[in-house]
Amino acid sequence: MFDLEQSIAVWRKQMLAAGIQSPVPLAELEVHLREEIERQVKSGLGRQNAFEMAAEKIGRPRELKTEFRKISVPVVIRIVKLAGIACGVVGSLLLLWTVYVSLFIREANWGVRIFGLLALAAIILSWRHGGRFLPAIRRPQVRAAVGLAACVAGVGGTLVFIGRVLPGLFVFSDGAGFSLNRLLVAFVIAWTVMAILGVFACQLEEAGQKGGLYV
Amino acid sequence: MISKGLVAASTEPLILSLLAGGESYGYALTQEVKRLSGDKIEWTDGMLYPVLHRMEHRGLIKSRWGESETGRKRKYYSLKKGGKKAMATHHEQWSLVHSVLAGLKKEQYV
Repeated sequence: MFDLEQSIAVWRKQMLAAGIQSPVPLAELEVHLREEIERQVKSGLGRQNAFEMAAEKIGRPRELKTEFRKISVPVVIRIVKLAGIACGVVGSLLLLWTVYVSLFIREANWGVRIFGLLALAAIILSWRHGGRFLPAIRRPQVRAAVGLAACVAGVGGTLVFIGRVLPGLFVFSDGAGFSLNRLLVAFVIAWTVMAILGVFACQLEEAGQKGGLYV
Repeated sequence: MISKGLVAASTEPLILSLLAGGESYGYALTQEVKRLSGDKIEWTDGMLYPVLHRMEHRGLIKSRWGESETGRKRKYYSLKKGGKKAMATHHEQWSLVHSVLAGLKKEQYV
């Protein structure tokens, strides 16, 4: 006696063995299989024949796996994208804090404040629309390498800024007093560069995908 | 029957155009294409899903799990802004190919 549920369970096992991942896309394929069986049965076919025909129409597990593999995002790319997001978010938040401070400190001049606000606007625009202006690098390895280089440059640049540039801003070799405005401008530049490089790494990935990657 | 190459090339524009009429799910899409083409375009059912997932990755469509009237789980797909733009581009390009072919055919009979 033909048991439909058991046959579907066997079909699921075959799909899993071939590497089709659960719950998605296997669940989606199973829904499709059941819909097709239902349609075939309604048109007068026996349940066994309906199952066999529906399973055949779905396709062979290995071929399906090959197709699905083309769209899975490699781990390296995910890591680079996450690093880009982290770099961009940290840079953006630090910039936001710097702009906030510059707006409420009386000693900060308007030139510095406007510079900070413009930098902030540039970051917001790059988060929203940056991907449009980036090239769609089709090879994932190249894209990952470029993205990683941007993240390293962002973090490395910030470390250089903190270790080398920042202490210099507190040295009064020329006898002049400590310049708060100069310090704020340096912070704005450093955080903007960090955020932009992070956004670049992240958006590069998006641009690559929109350009038909994983195909 | 239409050649495999042409079926593959037309899958994305067909999906986008079908989804322009409202959200739908994989099985309904295959049935609709079959019906509209008079059974001349038949997708290998399972191969539709990698295409849908790829289009989702590219930001052309979005998906959500829902339930049918009978309570069956279904993954519904709908068009995103990027998908509408891509559809317009596809229509433009396919129309161009069609008009070139029509023009060439006309020339042969003149």
